[in-house]
Amino acid sequence: MSAIAAVVQAGGLAVAPLVPGTIQALKARMQGRRGPSPLQPYRELRRLWSRSGVEPLGAGLPYRLAPPVVAACLILALAIVPVAGRSGPWGLGHDAFALVGLLALARVAVALAAWDTGSGFALMGAARDQTLALFAEALLALALLLAALPAGSTDLVAMSGSAAGTAIWTEPAHWCALLAFALVVVAETGRQPVDNPDTHLELTMIHEGPLLEYAGRDLAYLQWAAAARHWLMLLLAAGLFLPHPASFAGALGLAAAAVAAGAVALAVLETAQAKMRILRVPSLLGLGCLVALAGVATWGAGGVL
Amino acid sequence: MTPATAICLAGAAGLVLGGALPAASRAAAALRAGLTLQALGAALLGVGGVAILAAGGTTGAPLSAQIRPALGLDPLSGLFLVVLGLTATPALLFARGYLPGGHAPRAVAVLTAAFLLSLAGLLAARDVTTFLGFWEAMTIVPAAAILAARRDDEARSAVLLYLGITHLGGAGVWVALLALVLAGPGGATGTLIAVAALVGFGTKAGLAPLHAWLPRAHPVAPAHLSALMSGLMVKVALYGLIRVELEWLAPAPLWLGLVLMGLGLASALGGVLYALVQGELKRLLAFSTIENVGIVTAALGASVVLATAGEPEWSAIAFAAGLLHLVNHAVFKTLLFLGAGAFERATGGLDLDRLGGLLRRMPWTGGAFAIGLLAIAGLPPLNGFASEWLVLQSMLHVALDGAIGISLAGAVALAGIAATAGLAALCFTSVFGLTLLGAPRRPEVAQAREAAWPMRAGMVLLAVPCVVLGLVPGLVLPVLVDLAPSAGTVPATPGLDLPATGSLPTAALAIAVVLVAGLLVAARGRRRAAPAPAWTCGQRVVPELSWTAAGYAKPLRLVLEAVLRPRRRLEVTEAAGVVTGVDYASEVALPVDRFVSEHAARHGLRGAAFVRRLQTGNVRTYAAYLLALVLGLLALARTGALG
Repeated sequence: MSAIAAVVQAGGLAVAPLVPGTIQALKARMQGRRGPSPLQPYRELRRLWSRSGVEPLGAGLPYRLAPPVVAACLILALAIVPVAGRSGPWGLGHDAFALVGLLALARVAVALAAWDTGSGFALMGAARDQTLALFAEALLALALLLAALPAGSTDLVAMSGSAAGTAIWTEPAHWCALLAFALVVVAETGRQPVDNPDTHLELTMIHEGPLLEYAGRDLAYLQWAAAARHWLMLLLAAGLFLPHPASFAGALGLAAAAVAAGAVALAVLETAQAKMRILRVPSLLGLGCLVALAGVATWGAGGVL
Repeated sequence: MTPATAICLAGAAGLVLGGALPAASRAAAALRAGLTLQALGAALLGVGGVAILAAGGTTGAPLSAQIRPALGLDPLSGLFLVVLGLTATPALLFARGYLPGGHAPRAVAVLTAAFLLSLAGLLAARDVTTFLGFWEAMTIVPAAAILAARRDDEARSAVLLYLGITHLGGAGVWVALLALVLAGPGGATGTLIAVAALVGFGTKAGLAPLHAWLPRAHPVAPAHLSALMSGLMVKVALYGLIRVELEWLAPAPLWLGLVLMGLGLASALGGVLYALVQGELKRLLAFSTIENVGIVTAALGASVVLATAGEPEWSAIAFAAGLLHLVNHAVFKTLLFLGAGAFERATGGLDLDRLGGLLRRMPWTGGAFAIGLLAIAGLPPLNGFASEWLVLQSMLHVALDGAIGISLAGAVALAGIAATAGLAALCFTSVFGLTLLGAPRRPEVAQAREAAWPMRAGMVLLAVPCVVLGLVPGLVLPVLVDLAPSAGTVPATPGLDLPATGSLPTAALAIAVVLVAGLLVAARGRRRAAPAPAWTCGQRVVPELSWTAAGYAKPLRLVLEAVLRPRRRLEVTEAAGVVTGVDYASEVALPVDRFVSEHAARHGLRGAAFVRRLQTGNVRTYAAYLLALVLGLLALARTGALG
């Protein structure tokens, strides 16, 4: 069973780019454009893979190491996060906070690359990313706490197991957790209203900013990592916060459906909602923290109201 | 005498000899030999600490609230001796290359030995008198060393503030310990002792809101003393806190745990927030010390709360989490302060916006400094991440296991520690970029040369435990769990394989990151086009226009404007409608300065002016005082008030 789980997890490497591709395609339809095919990210990755890299003058090791380190962090994160409540025998544990650490490492690697190039736009994006990240990390920690309450553990497999079935849905704490985590998904994937992934105007970019100086295979790694972040967050949402059957096949089907539904939801949100002012985003995430704390309170008060 | 005691005594002898040698002789060789002896002594003390930890049990006198002088060692002292060895040995090695270029090197060397002896004595003190004696020595000696090394007004006023605040606060230590002697723990005195000890040790450890002295005093000391003050001295203050609050007053009450968590959290968030808005490297590092002391204190508080919630195992793990973070912080903060000292020596200044590109110019110093920065930023696979992971887990278990109020407190603490980690990452990324990367921003920085070998050796020696403790924290954790007041056991695996977590196989994760990243580097190949300038909308990238510390923290400043409340001053000089000069300054004052210290200083000065009237300088007045005192005492004795 664990071998199958390992294969399914590894499949995430290949499937991930489909998520942002689908979002872009759906968004184009909703905006009345023909838009690109959902497979467009794959084409872009292939094109980038055949190009040579360009290196800014004076850049050194942090610049060169950032893309492989970021991609490696996301690959390990995919190994840690169980699919449909099962995880392969990778020997890396499946702890929720280990995941937070890996995402933080990826973020800092990008920010250090920005400092290495010295480009103002890259630094602007990195500074904003790290500023929003500290609010997002607090919210993510609270959402994970809420998901850990029924299992009494931060083991992602156990957390996913305790969310199986429908009993959990009578807990108000779970609803608060879902809302809090939804905000984390938007922030971590860099989608509107937090960030606009379509913009290539230097002054408004957050996540795209530090990518400006990259080309070729480096850029391919970074773009794949951005796609993997979508996959990872939606997979976590499906595993920890949505009702799913305890059986592997059932849960797998549901996870696939949930990721697809998540992609649709992100596309709708991005069509309906304009980008927020960057400085307003922490208020939004702070509101999420309050909701999560309310969830903790209802759990402490005895669960079902 | 046990072997461990013998090793410790040999270490102390090394410190004494190492201090005596430069005091006796003016020769440069005597200074070097003295510092080497001191380093050896510190290393022996560390080894002795390991031996005590390995043997377990107490040697010498047991710890007691007596006033009869007694010395002895137990495993908790042993752990702090290990911290002393880990930090002081490299710092003294560093000093061997660093001191000869500074002011009054001999005096500083002698005082360094005295400082370390007082720290070791404090750890070996088994009674109240000895403890208080070494406690005062530990406070005064570094002040003397700072005054010996620096004559300027900034250093003097910092030392005055340091002595003032730590003595006022330190009164708490006296009150707590003397109350322990008189009444013993328990009852109403227990509460008094707990509060007094919190004030006393909290001041010395730099806990908010009693921290105002720390960011001023630590930066003005010579590099190796800054390192020892931030890396070691504040830890020894936490040692006192643990002894009194968690051992003597055991079982500690719930309110104490919650207060520790609250103070810790406030220090952690406040410390890192103010670190972020500093423009000078050493000052920034001092603020980050407040942050890390806060994290340790919060973990200790969580340990108390978990013990009262009937979770002895997690209580022990939370305690160990605090201790592990304490050890980790001692290592990387010492490393960072030494690095800052090396940069200052090489470039002549530590203004963050006037450094840059030092990784290339000083590869050894820069490389070790980089490891320290990544460790303190709490990034896997280094040691800072391992202990912060443990602290996060402790907070999570407070939230999981407590009643509703405690659960909420745990949740708030969890979010706060997570945000602190995010802020630390932001802060130290910016330090990394400003000091080590990019183009040099001053001619002196461009000319910087690598530090002398003893300085390099000291820093590399500290970078090693940053990596090792990050790879195998699980081998240290059981030892620390055994030190906890509540019973608990954890398996001795290399990683952190704890119940009710998804486990953190640190070494496996580290290997996997390196392996996968290596494979990706190989897959990327070497095909690259010619280097091109970075894209800044067609402008050229020039050092003068490069990003500053304030620029990188700007989004955060804007978000937290209401909290930080910066004071800004902008002066534009115009001549005939043409701007000829712009002068801009902004400062973020500490709330404790703004609301407390400034008022306290004003009233204190007024009080001092009043008291000065009593000091007329006239002999007859003093004779009258004496007469009044004698008469008063006689009267009191007569009425029986004096017994």
